Amino acid sequence: MRTKKIEPFLFLAPALFVLLVVFGVPIYRLFVLSFQRQSQGKQIFVGLSNYKLIFMDNVFIQAIQHNGTLIICVPIMVVAALLLSILLFERIRGWQFYRTTLFLPYLLPITVVGLVFSYIFQFSGVLNGILNAIGLKFLALDWLGSTHLALPTLMFVIIWKEMGFGVILFLARLMSVDEELYDAAKIDGANWLQLHLNITLPQLSTVIEFFTVISIITMLSWVFNYVYVMTNGGPGNATIVTELYIYLMAFQYNNINLAAAVSVLLLLVTGIFIFLELYLRDRAEVGEALG
Amino acid sequence: MKNIIKLITVLVSFALLVTSCSPAPTPTTAAPTTAGPTTAAPTTAAPTTAAPTTAAPIHLVVWWWGEQEAPGAQKWMDDTVKAYEVLHPNVTIETVLQSTDSLIPAFQSAAAAGSGPDIQYFWGGIYTLQNAWSGAIIPLDNLIPADEMSHYINNFERSYDGKQYGIGWYLSGNPMVYNPKLFTQAGLDPKNPPQTWNDLITACQKLNAIGVVPISGGMKDGWFGGWLFSILARQSHDSYKDFMSASVGNAKFTDPQFSGWWTALDQLKQAKCWNADINSIDYQQGQDMFVQGKSAILFSNDTFLKGFADTAGFGWDSMAVMMVPKWATGKMADEYITTAQGWGITSWSKYPQQDADFLMFMHTPDRLAAWWADTGVLPADNRMDTSLITQPIQQEIYKWDTTVAGANLENFIPNQLDNDANMTGVQLLFSGDKTPAQLAQLSEDTIAKWRLQNPDQVTFFQTWSK
Repeated sequence: MRTKKIEPFLFLAPALFVLLVVFGVPIYRLFVLSFQRQSQGKQIFVGLSNYKLIFMDNVFIQAIQHNGTLIICVPIMVVAALLLSILLFERIRGWQFYRTTLFLPYLLPITVVGLVFSYIFQFSGVLNGILNAIGLKFLALDWLGSTHLALPTLMFVIIWKEMGFGVILFLARLMSVDEELYDAAKIDGANWLQLHLNITLPQLSTVIEFFTVISIITMLSWVFNYVYVMTNGGPGNATIVTELYIYLMAFQYNNINLAAAVSVLLLLVTGIFIFLELYLRDRAEVGEALG
Repeated sequence: MKNIIKLITVLVSFALLVTSCSPAPTPTTAAPTTAGPTTAAPTTAAPTTAAPTTAAPIHLVVWWWGEQEAPGAQKWMDDTVKAYEVLHPNVTIETVLQSTDSLIPAFQSAAAAGSGPDIQYFWGGIYTLQNAWSGAIIPLDNLIPADEMSHYINNFERSYDGKQYGIGWYLSGNPMVYNPKLFTQAGLDPKNPPQTWNDLITACQKLNAIGVVPISGGMKDGWFGGWLFSILARQSHDSYKDFMSASVGNAKFTDPQFSGWWTALDQLKQAKCWNADINSIDYQQGQDMFVQGKSAILFSNDTFLKGFADTAGFGWDSMAVMMVPKWATGKMADEYITTAQGWGITSWSKYPQQDADFLMFMHTPDRLAAWWADTGVLPADNRMDTSLITQPIQQEIYKWDTTVAGANLENFIPNQLDNDANMTGVQLLFSGDKTPAQLAQLSEDTIAKWRLQNPDQVTFFQTWSK
């Protein structure tokens, strides 16, 4: 009886050991570094000093604010992806073409997307060229060079690229919704809006929650490539985000300890959302099991 | 279990990012140990190119950068390695060309791991010495004879506390380049380019009148902001050490002597000297505008000139060089900015003497001549055969390099000041968000923050600034 209890853990032991060495040690080291400071070639313990210092740094505060602003992208992405997936589900004319077109951006490398949009949004770029040509010169703005426009421009590109994932997720779920539900509602006289508010949304709730949480995590900790390629955090830190701040601290300013402190904070905040996602998925699985 | 693995994977991605670049072990500033096969101190003879006494196989790894600003460097490097391997049959050399973005991060990760290249390319000043302070590179005084070292140009950039932590490879200077044909079209005398700030502003007006962008630049990737600091901020000073001194708190960046360059730059902006899209294009795109004939003047790099001349439809006759017009009267206003891009030897290399020997081989007469032939860029060595320099523009550059050369200021200030104040500040000036006075305050706030966040580096800077 006792052997049977231990047996699963013995099977798991090699994998757990690898996890501990490969993943556990770097995380431990990260935490340790965040409480240290370099002094005469040695790392000395400084308690919470690094955490205090980063919160005194207005560039870090700006970075947090920008990550927060990027979260505005999430509801826009959810609503847009939902509407588009419904349109595709209803098989509008050319829906197969649109399905591919909408998902394609998600497959493209972020670096490529960033570079292409950099050329499009330059002050003397493609977009302004078109606007000037059609007599809309007043709309030809410095999309990436203005401190007021750079972040919204970046958000537009992120939405364009990331939304395709939501469309495919929602569409896949819609395909598996029992069509009898819609048929019954139509017989009862439900209009388009009622159909989707009362059937589509509840049926898609778990996948919407999933996409929302994943997108929030993306906005907090997965936008480095967009920023690095398109604006490098500028102009004047107008688009700096937490990941770029970590990169600058670690690789440009040689301050590994402050970079570690910010990484720990980002890790914790992201961790909260990951746990939330796990919780929602568990809840959904329980819900499905209960029928 | 899948969830746990996923969670851990995401968490660890952050951890790996930062811990992979954690600091190297305790600095070793002592002379190289006896780990390598040949441990005897070098003699004072000319560069050693003879085969080493041991026949044990030796593999050296070189991480480098330079093809980006000195096209042709790759060919030269390949030829140099081949030539060295012929002379030293037991030595093999592996070269890895780094991208601009990976040059620093890749080396820092290597330093954290204590393994990586034997020889590493470094920009000058702080870019080299911060690696000496962290113990990632070693002093070369006992590896390269003093009389050999004396031929290398700009050694002061890699000197700290009486030790030499690297050597130069080639020179990279910052002339102002202009298009004589466009000058003539605008009614300007190409034989007498602007010498004062007012002259420059007048030239901008005349060039604007013929529909040509007077000066082109690109700020999006930030680098050019740092260049402008180095080019302009110096003019009100007599020594680059003023900036090191201010960095450790002995002066304020809001003092008129330090803040004047912001006003000078703003005057160019107000006079519409710059391209309108300056904040939305990269540095290289700003340079390209000049070669495309869209702009008349460029704050450029002398390593680019041969490339400009080789561009179809351009040529040496489409450009001329001038010293930067003056807005102030400090001694540094008369200088030509030159830095030596160079090399260091890592503290974990098993073969420091062989590393040094290969570096000295790069400075042999044949290799110096080949470097010039392949790149059109001046080597950081005063033994170059100057009769090889036939283009008047390059002769002019060589004359400046050997008579009025001055330090590149970016190499003598903390990177954080350069990035968070100079590069960021210039973008804010061009976007119209900040005034010169506010930008001077940004510089002062940034350096105060750096001192607070980096007490250890402040200590090193205090020693360095003496």
